[in-house]
Amino acid sequence: MNGLLSWIDARLPVVRAWDTHMGKYYAPKNFNFWYFFGVLSILVLVNQLLTGIFLTMHYEPSVEGAFASVEYIMRDVPYGWLLRYMHSTGASAFFVVVYLHMFRGLMYGSYKAPRELVWIFGMLIYLVLMAEAFMGYVLPWGQMSYWGAQVIVNLFGAIPVIGEDLVQWIRGDYLISGATLSRFFALHVVAMPIVLLGLVVMHILALHEVGSNNPDGIDIKKNKDENGIPKDGVPFHPFYTVHDLVGITVFLFVFCAIIFFAPEMGGYFLEFANFEVANGLKTPEHIAPVWYFTPFYAILRAVTIDIGPLNSKFLGFVAMGAAIAILFVLPWLDRSPVRSMRYKGWFSRVALIAFAAVFVILGYLGVKESTPGRTILSQVCSVLYFAYFLGMPFWTSREKCQPVPERVQQKGLSKALVFGGLALFAVLVVVPIKAVAAGGAACGSVPCEHFHADFDDKASLQRGAQTFVNYCMGCHSIQYSRFGRVADDLEIPRDVMREQLIFGDEKIGDLMVSSMDPVKSKAWFGAMPPDLSLVSRSRNPDWLLTYFLTFYKDESRPTGVNNKVFANVGMPHALLELQGLQECAPGPKYDDHGHVIRNAVGELGEIDPCGSLVVGNIKGTMSPSEYRAAMVDLVNFIEYVGEPIADKRQTIGIYVLLFLMLLFVCVWFLNREYWRDIH
Amino acid sequence: MSDDGANLVRRRVLTAVTSAVGAVGAVGVAVPFVGSWNPSERAKAAGAPVEINISRIEPGQMVTFEWRGKPIYVVRRTQKVLDDLAKMEPLLRDPSSEKSVQPDYVDPKFRSQKDEFLVLLGLCTHLGCAPGYQPKVGSVQISGGEWLGGFFCKCHGSKFDLAGRVLQGVPAPINLEVPPHKYLSDSVILVGVDQEA
Repeated sequence: MNGLLSWIDARLPVVRAWDTHMGKYYAPKNFNFWYFFGVLSILVLVNQLLTGIFLTMHYEPSVEGAFASVEYIMRDVPYGWLLRYMHSTGASAFFVVVYLHMFRGLMYGSYKAPRELVWIFGMLIYLVLMAEAFMGYVLPWGQMSYWGAQVIVNLFGAIPVIGEDLVQWIRGDYLISGATLSRFFALHVVAMPIVLLGLVVMHILALHEVGSNNPDGIDIKKNKDENGIPKDGVPFHPFYTVHDLVGITVFLFVFCAIIFFAPEMGGYFLEFANFEVANGLKTPEHIAPVWYFTPFYAILRAVTIDIGPLNSKFLGFVAMGAAIAILFVLPWLDRSPVRSMRYKGWFSRVALIAFAAVFVILGYLGVKESTPGRTILSQVCSVLYFAYFLGMPFWTSREKCQPVPERVQQKGLSKALVFGGLALFAVLVVVPIKAVAAGGAACGSVPCEHFHADFDDKASLQRGAQTFVNYCMGCHSIQYSRFGRVADDLEIPRDVMREQLIFGDEKIGDLMVSSMDPVKSKAWFGAMPPDLSLVSRSRNPDWLLTYFLTFYKDESRPTGVNNKVFANVGMPHALLELQGLQECAPGPKYDDHGHVIRNAVGELGEIDPCGSLVVGNIKGTMSPSEYRAAMVDLVNFIEYVGEPIADKRQTIGIYVLLFLMLLFVCVWFLNREYWRDIH
Repeated sequence: MSDDGANLVRRRVLTAVTSAVGAVGAVGVAVPFVGSWNPSERAKAAGAPVEINISRIEPGQMVTFEWRGKPIYVVRRTQKVLDDLAKMEPLLRDPSSEKSVQPDYVDPKFRSQKDEFLVLLGLCTHLGCAPGYQPKVGSVQISGGEWLGGFFCKCHGSKFDLAGRVLQGVPAPINLEVPPHKYLSDSVILVGVDQEA
């Protein structure tokens, strides 16, 4: 074994490389919590590469196939759902760790000489990461993919003279199309990852050349022992490998908790509108980029004025670009004689907290639709964002710093100061956001009905499936779902499924496609009845239940009915024979939030002539309570169809989290054993 | 840093335990990656058992069906063909199908459930070409006897008799495979599902 190693080492410097980067790389021994995020971003990068490679094996980069192939991955490929959630959650996790990693750099002055190149390579990584994430988000070809691409690509149209031609060149078409999709796919899976890996190597090489910074911002190479080893350093391996394992395990716990229990993360990691296939003729009601872009998106939107010949569109583009570009020159903006916030002056400390708060507020504003109040807040925050960088040369060269000790300290700022800083940060974030809060109703003009899915209630799911097949599937498909899978998951014997729920000559393994002719249906209804596989994820179950309950008579509509949640819906009341036909009756008026409008003394305000619904002359076969129960079953089934794996996903998740707890115990003791004698 | 013995032992034990738990985790992580290469539900649906109607096959005729994208040969053998099979045995490599692949519910010599209908996977056991059907006596040259009808693979010259049994002196090592199949009725076979006992 040793012979082989020396044979290789004579031809390839493996031992030297190991020593340079691991075994004899001396890292300061006072790394704290903030120093986990570098290794975590490498972990996430590996996760993205591995899951990405496996996803490309099943993904189809075409307009016709992209959306369906993602659902194919989610439903038909064994463990495809897990690979996809690992990748989509990984994208957001990447930005979480990178933002915290960058904040660490700001806090401890890791960008200052001699680490300027480390910072610049890091910024380049961040830039490529944004491009990578943007192009990756286009690939599922959902509504947000399409309209996000539309907005971001159109940004380049703001460039004077060449803008429009540039946009057309990027798209390769007159609209975002298959040409755009395939080039983004190639860049996302081949070109960008290669660039990213190269930059990561440069980032680490540059870091290991000059050595790691630390929370005290002290150069540990100044204090060496007789062997030339820094007195305040420990070899990266084994000390930081075992130390990082603790951080990695905690990270994996959170990461897996999201993957298995909240993969959509409330619409922040996977946006709801992206569960609807791209439609170039209809923009979603609310369009926002994924959360990690929103601070810059908010800066873009904050620019509403023209300056001379430069219009607001161009200036917004410039402001957004500048917001990122200014980070590159940070090493030359900070003129402080010290690196770390531990020894910088009060002004620097408060400014950093304020800057972090501004960044978070901008991120929040970028998610929300704009209101006049929010626009003003985003303008104020944009100004503060730039003021932080532009003002830095002035205060850092003037403020009084504290003396930096010779050797690294195990203790940082006092607890009171740290918690005070955190509290200040919280106040700075929450107060402005509260001041501009506004909400919208989720269910059109009425309050939402509340629905709670129960996938253990197989009887409810079976009844729901029956209602669906009998009343919905005449027109609507659930084309990503297979009869056999539904039968197995709902515990319906396959022969019963075949006899009672398959009407045509479809086989049990087939997709559940409606037999309706798409051309005729377009003529009858003006539009093709949408596929319902994912409607519970693009809308939400509360909305669906409310929708089913609020059809009412409206002679002015071609179908003779209207809906409280989905005004002027094209769908006739397909469940009329069950519910009967409700008619308008006077009732309270609701505001935009779905609350009853009351006057100052709490009495009902205006009366809406159609504020409530009553059963009219046409009666259904079910009583109102029976109908409601049937609709709860139906929504339960539709919710199940949206993500058939949901139940199993959570069960697997529990085992994964239990395993990680066990692993945590191991790495905790391992780390403690190695570090017990280091002070 | 002290490197006393007790410390080192404890480090080694903890490293070993952590590595072992970590290895379990690595296997767990590998499961979705390795698993995702198995046939998907779409592939399974496409590869589902197929029903074959054999009632319209003429005596002596062979019809090719498709199952999982592979040819399934069904030959309706005449009594003469069945009688002749025994004559071929001295020329065969594995006349009683001892080394060959077939479900245990088919006869090892006639290689069928019902003598009349031979159901074979039409892929040569040498390198996977589809052998041609040569029913005519003497239509293929063989040494040491007369060709009494069978399958001849043009790719590399492998020869099989009318029970799909391989002749001696050809590259194919074993008899043509018999796929799992089940009689739903006298006239309908389901290929891809085993006959229950």
